[in-house]
Amino acid sequence: MGRVPESALSRRLVLTGTAAGVASLLVPVTLVPSDARPSQEQTTYDITDWITIAATGEVTLGLSQPEVGQGSYTVLPQILADELDVEWQRVKVRFVTGKEAYKIAFKNEAPAQKEGASMSTTALYERLRTAGAAAREALTRAAAEKWGIAVAQCRTEKGFVINAAGDRLSYGEIAPAAANLPLSARPRLKDPNQLALIGKPTARLDSQAKSIGRAVFGIDVSVPGMLNAAIRMAPCFTGAVVEIRNEAEILKRPGVHAVVRIAAVAVANEEAGSQHPALTRPPRDNAVCVVADHFWQAKRAVEALDVVFDPGTGGDLSSAKIDALLQAALDGDAAVPVIEIGAPRQILRDKAASIIERRFVLPHIAHAPLEPVNATASYRDGAIEVWGSIQSVDACREAVATAVGCATDAVSVNVTFLGGSFGRKIVPDYVVQAVQASKAVGRPVKLIRTREEDTQHDVFRPNAGARIRAVLDEAGYPLAVHARVAGQSLFGATRKSWLDRTPEGSWDESMVDGIYNQSYRLPNFLVETVDTPLPIPVYFMRSVGSTAAVFFWESFISEFASRARIDQYVYRRNLLTADPLALRVLDAVAQASNWMTPSEPDLFRGIAYNCYIGRGGRFKTYVAEVVELAPVDDKLKVKRVFCAVDPGLAVNPNTLAAQIEGGIGFAMTTALHSRITFSNGGADQSNFFDYPLLSIDEMPEVVPIVLPSDRPPQGFGEVVLAPLAPAVAQAVLQATGRRLDVMPFPDAVFRT
Amino acid sequence: MGLFNIKINGSSRSIDVDGDTPLLWVLRDNLGLTGTKFGCGIALCGACTVFVDDRPLRACSLPISALGESEVTTIEGVTGREAVAVQSAWVARDVPQCGYCQSGQVMSAIALLKEIRKPTDRDIDLALNGNLCRCATYVRIRAAIHDAARALGRLI
Repeated sequence: MGRVPESALSRRLVLTGTAAGVASLLVPVTLVPSDARPSQEQTTYDITDWITIAATGEVTLGLSQPEVGQGSYTVLPQILADELDVEWQRVKVRFVTGKEAYKIAFKNEAPAQKEGASMSTTALYERLRTAGAAAREALTRAAAEKWGIAVAQCRTEKGFVINAAGDRLSYGEIAPAAANLPLSARPRLKDPNQLALIGKPTARLDSQAKSIGRAVFGIDVSVPGMLNAAIRMAPCFTGAVVEIRNEAEILKRPGVHAVVRIAAVAVANEEAGSQHPALTRPPRDNAVCVVADHFWQAKRAVEALDVVFDPGTGGDLSSAKIDALLQAALDGDAAVPVIEIGAPRQILRDKAASIIERRFVLPHIAHAPLEPVNATASYRDGAIEVWGSIQSVDACREAVATAVGCATDAVSVNVTFLGGSFGRKIVPDYVVQAVQASKAVGRPVKLIRTREEDTQHDVFRPNAGARIRAVLDEAGYPLAVHARVAGQSLFGATRKSWLDRTPEGSWDESMVDGIYNQSYRLPNFLVETVDTPLPIPVYFMRSVGSTAAVFFWESFISEFASRARIDQYVYRRNLLTADPLALRVLDAVAQASNWMTPSEPDLFRGIAYNCYIGRGGRFKTYVAEVVELAPVDDKLKVKRVFCAVDPGLAVNPNTLAAQIEGGIGFAMTTALHSRITFSNGGADQSNFFDYPLLSIDEMPEVVPIVLPSDRPPQGFGEVVLAPLAPAVAQAVLQATGRRLDVMPFPDAVFRT
Repeated sequence: MGLFNIKINGSSRSIDVDGDTPLLWVLRDNLGLTGTKFGCGIALCGACTVFVDDRPLRACSLPISALGESEVTTIEGVTGREAVAVQSAWVARDVPQCGYCQSGQVMSAIALLKEIRKPTDRDIDLALNGNLCRCATYVRIRAAIHDAARALGRLI
């Protein structure tokens, strides 16, 4: 545990912004007068790895999980503040890095400081409560020693220790003594009825800064001596720079400092050997950047560059080819069995005449955070410092160190607010490019990808297709089911150590999340996967494989219910009787939406369910949704979505509700709009005219239903996405009789 | 390069840039006003919304040479009762998630309330559908605009 006054430590985590008032990422909870604001030189004391208290009593809480919008900047400090017992209105939050306490692991892997997999609150809840309680205990002990009384005679209240006589010592007064006391590894946590913040709808700490334009994002970083860079990457993923024909001419443009060839970076920051061979070999330059005084000069110059690119070995990649591979995989003989229960193969053979079959295809899609990827880097005498919207601190340090051949310790990372990420900014390819540019010019460089470069060189969510076959029993329920999912394996392309190995081959859990581990009663069940490797950079994206897999699976369940002429809710309910937590969310959403009351004639509804199981089985969040579809003007529109969730303890019901609302909207974009196609080895789409996002007029009303739970906090950021599309598809089926088997859903089906 | 005198947030600034430089990059790179964001560069996402002579415009698509004598207001300089009402409602509703688009959303909402005192949902759709939010905070954006309209109604 840290014991050094913070003033003696590096202050490099405090960012320098360009405009007055943007001096740092520290956003005190304002709306409170600043009379308690300390001077820069004040002495502070680290009580734990997470908690720093100034002599003035000002409390700074460490945040180790980047704020990408999900609310970690509020929710995680809220846990600390509650156990510490301080006034919430006065805490400050600061991004911290560099300590073992900040590292977490999702599955079989070394712990690292990173964010993802909806795991922040789940993984850190106990740790933060313990840290807060240990600090409170140390402060109480320090006060008791000062007073010469027993600890039992002291209590705490909002930043003060108080004794039986009513004497008060502020945390600031006793922080120097408390910082030198050993911490208890198992401090007494507050009883549930003593909790003042945990479980309460608490206001976000960053709303003010983000509503007045003062929050510092990566793209806003400015460091002394900094230049600006724009980049142009080989249009083909396997491509290389052959020649720049007008470099001398470009260098004469006003403001231009350098034209820099950028070496191809392993875009997935994961295990060596996981990437598609065509993406990694041979080592090559695959981008050119122009470094200039200002970004606009750099952008115009990079557009004017006459660059000859070689497509490499993947120049013939096209969507037609990808789809052909997928269809062949769905029908081929080779597949890896994931799970086999009962005798599905035999039953399907015996009853071949009554098999129901559905096929589905989903494209690759792009993350499209509204802040395009960008980074600021300073390479000086082998020491590297980077600033920016970075979701995974340790992976970034490692990627930079590997790329420039230095020790990981030589790389320091400063994290700003992230202007959206959804998994994209875990991959630090853009940071490594900025480091290369800085190294080339010997000055700090901020490199910004244009929207076009951001879209075309995303690390895409992989495509997926499914073929599901089944026979029903006499009552209309599944007797035997065979689900096969094919596509570019995410784990295969990024981290092979996460693949599950069987004698028949390896399979990727993310391809069948929500299918192989689903909750419905299925007496005879076979699930298989087929990997179709492609030279396309891919990575995790919010909800990972579940958006595809749950769409396949729930659409198929809808098909069963519709054939059996059983109500969609009742049908699901009858298959879930063994799972009370599943029934609870399903019943809750049916009740809230008045499902059992017949709807108005021009209102069409769909219901869907999923249990989102966290990576490595770390959590289970239950979700059920009802979608209402109705004609508006000349189109069917998703008007309202009911979403019932069992998230375990909701640490902050306010931010949780925001994740429900936003998650539904995010899933709407995927269902209605998102598709990346490929030709000549690269992506075809480039900006919001051909890769549109949901707009406000398309956004449904959202009714969140959060069920109380005795379980600890379960993961939440990604969980509400998956059931949305199959619920919409079911409503469309009801409205039009049309079965949807592709995403995005064709616009034509919504025209009335 | 050329010298341009522009009126920004109530003061005059002189900048030496190429005439084709969009207002957005003048704000961000030359003036250090980073509250106005870059999202798409072709006026499709609204993250760069500023006021030019009190009308909302996309700063990414306005060359500095076309600005002339017009007065520019950015999120850093926006004032007035509509601005107070909108920004207070934004904070009270906790509208932002990642927050990147919110400067543009706030500017468009202020412009709407200056134009229409009591906007309907359809008015909001029409005024804000060019402001994209990847986090889809639209539910709260809509609610906050209605809140702000109510608050302004009480002031009259």
